[in-house]
Amino acid sequence: MGYEAISKTIAIIITIIVIVAIAGGAYWWYTSTQQQQQVTITWASTQLVPPQEQAFVKGELLPPFTQETGIKVEFVGLSYDELNTRLQSEMQSGKVTIDLIGELHGGIDYFASQGWIEDLSKFPALSGRTFPDVLEKYSHIHGIKAYVPWMTATYVMVVNKKAWDYLPPGLTKEDVMKGTDKWTYDALLAWAKNLYEKTGGPKLGFPAGPNGLFVRFLHGYLYPSFTGAQVKNFNSTDAVAMWQYLKELWKYVVPESTTYDAMADPLLRGDVWIAWDHTARIKDAIEQKPDQFDVVPVPRGPKGRGFILVVVGLAIPKGAPHEDAAWKLIDYLTRPETQVKVLEKVGFFPTVKEASAKVPAGPLQVLAKGVIAQESTSDALVALIPSLGAKGGDFKQIYLTAFEKIVLNNEDIKSTLDSLYPQLINLFQSQNLPLPPPDQPVG
Amino acid sequence: MDSEEIPFMVKIEKYIPYLLLMPALLYMIFFIGYPLVQAVGLAFFENGQFTTANLDYLLYSPLSKFWDALKYTLLLAAVIIPIQVSVAFAIALLMNVPFKGHNLAVYSVILPLTISDVAAGLIWYVMLSPNGFFNKLLVSAGIISEPVRFFGAANRDMEFLAIVITEVWRATAIVFVILFAGLQMISREYYEAAEVFGATTWQRFRYIVFPMLLPSLQAALIIRTLFAFQIFGVVWTLAGRDIPVLAGEAYYEQTQLHHPGVASLYALIIALISVLIGYIYTKLFKARYLEA
Repeated sequence: MGYEAISKTIAIIITIIVIVAIAGGAYWWYTSTQQQQQVTITWASTQLVPPQEQAFVKGELLPPFTQETGIKVEFVGLSYDELNTRLQSEMQSGKVTIDLIGELHGGIDYFASQGWIEDLSKFPALSGRTFPDVLEKYSHIHGIKAYVPWMTATYVMVVNKKAWDYLPPGLTKEDVMKGTDKWTYDALLAWAKNLYEKTGGPKLGFPAGPNGLFVRFLHGYLYPSFTGAQVKNFNSTDAVAMWQYLKELWKYVVPESTTYDAMADPLLRGDVWIAWDHTARIKDAIEQKPDQFDVVPVPRGPKGRGFILVVVGLAIPKGAPHEDAAWKLIDYLTRPETQVKVLEKVGFFPTVKEASAKVPAGPLQVLAKGVIAQESTSDALVALIPSLGAKGGDFKQIYLTAFEKIVLNNEDIKSTLDSLYPQLINLFQSQNLPLPPPDQPVG
Repeated sequence: MDSEEIPFMVKIEKYIPYLLLMPALLYMIFFIGYPLVQAVGLAFFENGQFTTANLDYLLYSPLSKFWDALKYTLLLAAVIIPIQVSVAFAIALLMNVPFKGHNLAVYSVILPLTISDVAAGLIWYVMLSPNGFFNKLLVSAGIISEPVRFFGAANRDMEFLAIVITEVWRATAIVFVILFAGLQMISREYYEAAEVFGATTWQRFRYIVFPMLLPSLQAALIIRTLFAFQIFGVVWTLAGRDIPVLAGEAYYEQTQLHHPGVASLYALIIALISVLIGYIYTKLFKARYLEA
């Protein structure tokens, strides 16, 4: 009796196991053949390469795309040099494996100049998204539509709300927030002076520490605003006037600025009330105390409102094995909701205007509003960071040396600039590189 | 059988010392020799050709801060080391006398040793900043009306002071540990003997403590001086490049300017100075033992 019952149980268990095994095997066979039919595209990117950001790309950004289209994406994070070498060898051997490139404007500019990039105007239009004129203009290089703008970053000013009480006569909060004609570098000087005199100490700050990005303010903001160019007017009379201005302004700058690498901490400590820095480096302050700060466009100078725009584009190499699938990914990555997701996770700003309406209220909206206000000013004079590769360090050091000698050590302006100018020009000439915009407009 | 084995052992016996030295030698070759050769190669050769371009840049380019870095590194070592040694010496003598809570006192003295240089720099940066603890204390006590500004290129002297304060706070403990250990090793019998002969405190210090402490002092000085030439984290966090130092410039040239040749040159210069100082100290402090 007992023996029979046991054998019955065993029979049932064996039957269940057999059924599960057959069903599982069938499922495995089905999915594996499905996978064979599935397209896998290779996306090589120099952006979002740090481990945390890659985890976001692979774990959050790409799965919805694969679900929607059935296209699998292999994300390959590379340095610029690695991408350049790989692309070059693939082009030479005629065996292209990269389907999509994510790179800064400067890099794609170079690839396009070598004839490695597909003209994207042959693809259908991306409906429901508007790219700002500035970005649209810069994506057309070497006679082709070289890339679709994917992400941007820039450097803006942050104002502690307490500073609004010390605006100089003739300047309103509205002027500053919107970046009107009245929001000039002279107005900034008057404001900083007013703050200095009425609060008992300097309140304007810059990230001029050894890892700070102050050098970008020099070559990408002050130089274009005062001389109309980043490089070619380095020792012009306009440049001399600019340095005189900076010497005057520096009297009202927090002296600790030469030790600041990022402005979030000094802003939060209250040591600095008006700061300039990269959006990623002030994000912390605004996230911690969104009610305390406003993000505003930079002032304008005699030649316009110079500012640096970091543009990351998506390009398709010539001969890419899955062009159409790559275009689908471009379509997905430039959707407003995808762009907002990227902003929330990694702090790069959207390149489509429709995305700004979708940024949730809070610190990110404070930032996004400032960035968009700056990009939309009518006198915008966009400066792009030159792609000098390993020589980029020397480029920065020349501007920093000028700053140290002229502003910190009070050396003669004209002779300092004259002595550094040949070194600066040589950087571009020795590598046969064009000067970066706005010195030489792209088109 | 036996008669065959013994000559073999004798034969290899003379190689045994070399065999025993092998691990150390291999270590020296791979981890010291090879990188050193690499550094020389990076500094003086480009595409297989000898070049002085890096040296020229280091010495003459307006973009290089070598002379300032050398000046400040020497100056910092000259100011910090005497303070640290005398302070550590004083504390060690004090701690050598037993008292209640002695162990607790020793631990608290060596506590800063557990904190990394960058962290120590950050702690003092926050304390000495215009809105920091130090300034707030002085302002609210009515001693000053305006905060003392310790940082920024315009206040280089104060930055220098801040570095000295932080370094003394952070690294005096290592000197203390070495000197204290040295003091503890001096046998009580010497003191007792001195007492019997009626030696004064000064005489005891002059003829027992000081000579017997010389080897420890030498070790402490060598370690401290070598560290002084590698000073980096504290300066970097407190003063950035307002006060350039050799190790900081090596780092900056490598990471920000992408000049590996120049960075190697800095490394070689630091190594050269270190070797020189080690040599001088060993010559200068030949330990004289009482039981010679």
